[in-house]
Formats: sequence, C-alpha cells, structure tokens
Amino acid sequence: MAFQRRVRQAPVTQVIRTVCPLNCGIACGVLAHIKDGNLIKIEPSDHLGTSHVCLRGLSAQKMVYHPDRLKYPLKRAGARGEGKWERISWDEATNMVATNFKEIGEKYGPSSLAFVIDQVGALTTTAMLGFVGACGGTFIDPSGCGDVAGPCADKACYGSPWWYGEDYTVQFDNPASIFVWGENPAETKAFKWRMIRDAKEKGARLIVIDPRFTTTASKADEFVPLRTGTDAALALGMMNAILKQGLEDKEFIIKHTIGPFLIRTDNGLFLKEKDVNSTESDKYVIWDTKTNEARNPETPGSTPALTGAYEVNGITCKPAFQLLTELIDQYPPQKASEITGIPAQTIERLGIEYATAKPAASYKGLGGTRGNIHGDLNFRAICTLAAITGNISFEGRNSSEVNMTALMTRGFPGVLPLLNMYEAILEDKPYPIRSLYMARHNPINQYANFNKIIDELVPRLDFIVVADLFMTTSAQYADIVLPAAGPYESTDLYSPLGDGSHNYLQLQPKVIEPLHESRSDINIFASIAAAMGMEEYLDKSPEEYIDQMLASGHPSTEGITVEQLAENPRLPNAHAIQGFGTASGRFEFYTELLKPFGQELPVYLEPMESPKTPKAQDYPLTLLTTHPKYRIHSMFANVSWIREIDQGPVLEINPADAEARGIVDGDTVRAFNNRGEVILQTWINSGIRPGSVNICQGWSPEHFIGGTYQAMTHETINPAQQAIYQPNIAQYDTLVEVEPIT
Amino acid sequence: MVKRYGMVIDLERCTGCQTCTVACKVEHGIEVGSGISVQTVGGPHRDTPGGTYPNLSMYYLPTPCMHCDKPPCQDACPAGAISKRPDGIVLIDEEKCDGCQMCISACPYEALFFDSDKNVVRKCNMCSDRLDEGFEPFCVLCCGVDAMFYGDIADPASDVSKLIANRNAYTLKSEQGAGPAIYYCAPQPPRRL
Repeated sequence: MAFQRRVRQAPVTQVIRTVCPLNCGIACGVLAHIKDGNLIKIEPSDHLGTSHVCLRGLSAQKMVYHPDRLKYPLKRAGARGEGKWERISWDEATNMVATNFKEIGEKYGPSSLAFVIDQVGALTTTAMLGFVGACGGTFIDPSGCGDVAGPCADKACYGSPWWYGEDYTVQFDNPASIFVWGENPAETKAFKWRMIRDAKEKGARLIVIDPRFTTTASKADEFVPLRTGTDAALALGMMNAILKQGLEDKEFIIKHTIGPFLIRTDNGLFLKEKDVNSTESDKYVIWDTKTNEARNPETPGSTPALTGAYEVNGITCKPAFQLLTELIDQYPPQKASEITGIPAQTIERLGIEYATAKPAASYKGLGGTRGNIHGDLNFRAICTLAAITGNISFEGRNSSEVNMTALMTRGFPGVLPLLNMYEAILEDKPYPIRSLYMARHNPINQYANFNKIIDELVPRLDFIVVADLFMTTSAQYADIVLPAAGPYESTDLYSPLGDGSHNYLQLQPKVIEPLHESRSDINIFASIAAAMGMEEYLDKSPEEYIDQMLASGHPSTEGITVEQLAENPRLPNAHAIQGFGTASGRFEFYTELLKPFGQELPVYLEPMESPKTPKAQDYPLTLLTTHPKYRIHSMFANVSWIREIDQGPVLEINPADAEARGIVDGDTVRAFNNRGEVILQTWINSGIRPGSVNICQGWSPEHFIGGTYQAMTHETINPAQQAIYQPNIAQYDTLVEVEPIT
Repeated sequence: MVKRYGMVIDLERCTGCQTCTVACKVEHGIEVGSGISVQTVGGPHRDTPGGTYPNLSMYYLPTPCMHCDKPPCQDACPAGAISKRPDGIVLIDEEKCDGCQMCISACPYEALFFDSDKNVVRKCNMCSDRLDEGFEPFCVLCCGVDAMFYGDIADPASDVSKLIANRNAYTLKSEQGAGPAIYYCAPQPPRRL
C-alpha cells in the first residue's frame, strides 16, 4: 500500500502525504509540496491503488492564501447583516462566547445552545460532538440538507441508514447492465464513475435515468429522460413489465425478502406465531402450499406462497409479495409513462433488460430524493426493483467504525435534524433554540427558504457565532465571527464513508501553520471550554485523540494506531456484515412503521410542488439546483482559478421554455415563486428537460444580480421520513416561474 | 530512430472535469489562462449538449499545444522566440518573446494565450522539464479518468503508437498540414440493445 511513485519536487521542498480536506465525499490522498512553510503545490497521491485529484483540490493553495481569509476575530458593530465589524482579541471573543452560552443556557436550558459543523474530518466532528456534550447543547445534524431521504429508504429496506445502502445494489464483479438513477458521478463522484466506466469498458450497458442531460448521461448507452421526482413510478412500471412476463426471481424473494411473510389484512401488520398459537413467539409466518397451512418460515421442506389470500386462525392474511403485486398491478407501463414521460415501450423494455441482463447494478444518486418530498419512496421502489429481480449483492460488505464518542467525557449532545431546527427556533418545539454556532458550514446559504431564515429565524436567535475561513453568508449574520484554520492547517482523521467513495483510514497531518490569527476548530473549542471553566477539557494533542478514536473497540480498527496511519493510509480490518439489519433480517419492501402514512409499500406519490398541482398555474417550472464540478456547496465560489472557467451563476432553460417566455440566450431573467426570487443571466441549454430549469447550487446572494436561488426552496417536513429516520430538504420539489427583465 | 513526443487523449474517457486546465496552472504558475483548455462539443455553452431534448449529444475536447511538425506559430513569430526541439516539443523562449501575439492568430488550434502580467505569450511545453527527468506531464499525472497518454509516437512499439493504431486515433484540422502530435480517440457511439 505504500506510496511508490517517484515525485518530482523543487529544491528545498518538503513533500507530505495528506488528505484533500475539502470533503466532497471522497477525501483524495494528496501530496502537499511545502517550501519555507508555505503550501506551493498539490499533486495526487496513491489512493486505493490508484490516484485522484480534481480542479478543486488542485486549487487549494488559492483558497489557503486567499486575500479574503478571515484574519482575526470580529465582533458585530452594526445591525445583523449590516457588514459593520470591530476587530477583537481571541480572549475577548472566547469570553463573549462563554458568557453568552452561560446566560442563554441558564435562561432557556443548555439544550437551547445549538451547534452545527460540516466539511471537516472525523476528529473535528468528534471534538465538536464532545464539546456540545460538555455544554449540554444540541448538535444539529446537517445530513437532511438534501442527503437523508436515501438513508430513510435504506433504513426501511435494509435496516440501517447506511449511507445510501448502495453497496447492496452495486457490488457486482461484472455487471451486464448498469442503471444510474438521478446521479451524475462523472461530474461529482469520480471514484464511483471510474467503477462504472471500467464496467462499461468491460461490456456493461449503461443506462442513465435523469431529467437532465448530464456528463454521465453523455457517456450513457441510453438516456432515460424522466420527469423530476417520478423515479418510483418508473420503477413500478418496470416491475409491472417484469411480473407480467414472470421474470421475477422467486427464489431470491422467498429466501431473502419478506415476500412470503403473511400480513394481516385487518391491521396491516405481519402475522406472528403468537397470533396463530398460544405462544408468545414474535416469529413471522408463511403459508406452506404443500401442506396448506401456516408455518414457521424455517420449516424444512415447506413451499411458501408468494401470492393469494389465506385464512389463518380466523384472520385473512396475504403474503407481503401479494400486496406488492397488487400495488405493481396499478402501474402498467402506460400509466407509468403518463407519470414519468417515458414511453411505455421503453419502460417495458428497460424492465425486461433489468431482470434479464444480470447482474444489473443500480447506482442511486440524490436527484430522485431531492426532486420529490417523498424521495425516500423513490429509493425504496428502486431497491424493491433490485430485490424482486435478485439484483442484490451480499458479497464483500464490510463495516468499520471509529469512536465518535471519544471526546464525550462530559456528556452526550442532544441531536436535532436540521429541518427540526426551524421549528425549535420559531416555536420552541421540541424545545427552544436560542444560540447557533456554525463551524465550517454555511446553513444560511445552503438550507431551504432563505427569506424565512433571514426574516424569521435569525431575529429569534439571541446569539450567532460562525467559525470559518471566509465571511460566508452565514457569517454575515453572526454576532461573533472566528477565523478558523483552513485546509492543510490542522490535523484530522478521515474514516471510510461507505458510499462507494473511499474506504481508507487516512491521517490528514497539518502541513502548514494556521494563517493569520486563525485557529483549528478543536483549538477554538478548547479556548471556549477554558473560558467556560473547563480548562482540562480538550487539552490533548490531535494525535492522542485520534488514537482514542481508533481504540473504538470495533474489530475494524483493532490494533491500528495514529503512528501507523502517519506512515501509510490503510484499509480498516475486514469486518463482514452479515445479512440485513431489519427486524426480519431480510430485505423489507413492506414497512409496518409506515402503515399510518399509507406508505408501507413503495407507493408512488407526486411531488408536493408537482406540475400537476394548482400551484403550477402560476409557477409552472420545476427548479433544479444541481451540484457542479466547480464547487463543493458554497466553497470555491471565490477561487479565481475556478471562476475563470465557471464565471458566475446562470439559469439554464430549455429552448422551448425560453421561447415561450420571450427569453433569448444571455438575457437577464427573474425566477420566482411565492417564497422569493433570484435575478440572474440565462443560458439556453437543450439538456434541460422542458418544464424545468436549473441553477447550479452553491452561489451566494452577492453573486446574483438580485435575490438568491434558496429563496424559492422550502423546508416542509415529510412526517413519514421523520418517523422512519430524519426529514429531508427536497430542494428540487420546487415550482417557479421565470420572466425576462427588460 | 528520432524520438517524437506526442499525446493521445481518449475522448470517450474524458469527462470534461477541467482538472488538466487547473493542473497546468499549478505546474506552471499561471494566474490567468492555461496551457490546455477543455472545449465542450455540443451546445452553445460549456457543459451543454447539442440536439433537441431528449436526443442529445455532448463530448469534451481538451486542446493543449499540438506540438506540430511544422508549427505555424514558429513561422509567424518575428522575434524568433519559438523553437522546436529534436524530440518535437515546441517551446516559446520567454526572454525573446516581446508579446506581439502574432503567433496567437497564426495557431489553428487556439492553443496559445497571452500572459499580460509577464507580457509574453505562453502555451503548453508538454512539461518538457518533467519529461527530461523521466516524469510524465503534470496534466497526465492529474487526469482522474486516465484519458491522457504521452510517449514516443515515432516508435511503432510504444503504448501511444499502439493506442493510435488500435483506436484509429486522429488529429485535429489535419487538412491544414501543420502535422499535430496530439491524437484523439473518438467518443464511442451508444450501444443499443
């Protein structure tokens, strides 16, 4: 595993292996060239036997030495957002933070102190969790910013919110076909793309399902241009074609899914042995077609029914697969076509290909989960399609853990999903939040419904702190702004993400000293802790903490030390995952918990702001805010090398929609809905689906002629997602209208 | 046999990620411009396809200096600042260049750019200093999708020569007769069922 490649370096230059710390989800190993204590160059290092770097990672030096870096702590000197600041010392800053935390904590309870962090390594996250725990505060989980509907579905289907549950549907040696659903890995997930590309070069046919003609779509053998957020309808239509031809994998369904388990028609719950006999057994029950009786699924020699209805102990029951079949029967390809916009013949052909060109790998991106407030149902339908055709792999799944509780020596933090934060601030539910500390994260720019955040949430907060590299949109509304040490200026640990992105345990050693008066996030927490009278808290070195995290007690990190990682990055010890984490131990396409929502099966539900709703009369266009290669969220929008290529925000619109509105390429337009507006330039783009427009996300209000794209998105909570795991922001479930500005 | 450095760029593999564009800036300290640029072949703007939805196509075309056999830029340079090494690499001597930019208009490939800070024209030198020490060009090293290859195109046994033969690689604007040393493997057509 050691890095073998010869490296060309300038005289008196030191080359250190570290990690690109910008956290697009990959964490590429990189070599930092250091001269006279300065970072002068980044080049790719060995990483998973290959190497990778991108235009953003290579531009790190432009971010590190950016003239606009925050250089010292600032105190607000005018109204919030007015842009007037006063330079203060670190002592004054940390004392102010400590005093406010104390006062607000005493007044509203310590849980009213909220903290959020992102775009950092595992150590910094662990340190924040520990610090929040020590304060008795609340950690805001930021994954609901568009990323958490997939895990909702994974929890339902596979039993754990394992990130995207993707391994189950992609880990095949030589897939015959590859279906990419709402993802653009050729632009945003290079490692995943190389796996797909390699399989394609070996002969797999690549089908890309997306409303937008992406770079990935341009590489596809077939582009399936569905309407935004309708993935579940397409999957149900494909399943309809599969069942009609009897192409389902009955053996897999019987062995690995809850398909044969009986469900009571009276209450929609699984029939358990205790319903049948006088035992207390919670075991599931099947109908044995050999003996025509209800039996334990483990009964040797039984032939479980997958279809039909059966009377057991006076209760009418149906196998779960029968109920799934009844749902699928409602989605013949013609009906799926009307919903998705894909021709019925294509849906039928894709269904047959998926069930016969096996194994078929399914890569699921976040498009389908952001395009519909019921995005988890889209993922569940895609996973169910995989399960009924046996396109699920159990091979080579490993789990690994580092100890994220290592620094929770003074208590555990409360955790609140970000969408619940809105209500906590506005209505004190489930409890009040009055202070918000945002570290290396830009919620005011990146979360939904910008105007509501500015007009309603910000004024309800007694105290706002931001620790970051730049005066971000969030920092502009803060009371105290702290200069955080940048990438390459602090030590951290990168642990496997488990979404097919990277599997390494990597040490990210500090390679240059923090610039200006900036401090690493851990040192900032330590300073505040000291000012709060917890001097002994967070007084060890990053390396000592990393060793504590590696001593997690989990077999995957047993025996691994920070010293070893300083030598070489490495894979965690293999620790195979057996089966599924669901209550049944099987793949569950029927979720009892979601019965109250009518979502026990992967039904199709229209987006909340569907073009079929009355709202579409005023706002007929679906707004996508996709991720470009030029930024990671709002980072890099100020980096000159990248801005030279991607010069500013544009609204991409199909020529037909532009013409209907009298919009010519390059015109300035206003996009708006009942929540807000943005004013920017247009680009005519034939790759945008008629009926939708796209603004690549991550730009800030100062980049637009007026308004901002997040002013149009909404923060509606889907209660079914809340019940199963966490609610998600469905950024693309947003209707707008666009008009030229003359 | 005289060595002739050249490159092969696989347009099926290229995803237009622009890493090569920035890699060139890093390696050569270029603030504005780059020795390689990535064009979108398709729609009117970068990253947009041609055609009518949903019948669309798009690919990316990275264009460094073509290191031509008969470089039109060399003929156009009144200062005699442009030279060609025996191994084919075309170089600009920044000491001799007076910034007149005649070469920029002479190049059929728009591969040269003006550096207003230094008042010189710059372009890809195939990282000749790296090549001379046995290292690959920096853009080749950084390419995340293994789409760029370099080597001796005069040696039929070299990997690049084999790639050119096996993939029917072609050069751009060959009819102009400059003899470019950068070859391209065409994007693959979609495979229908």
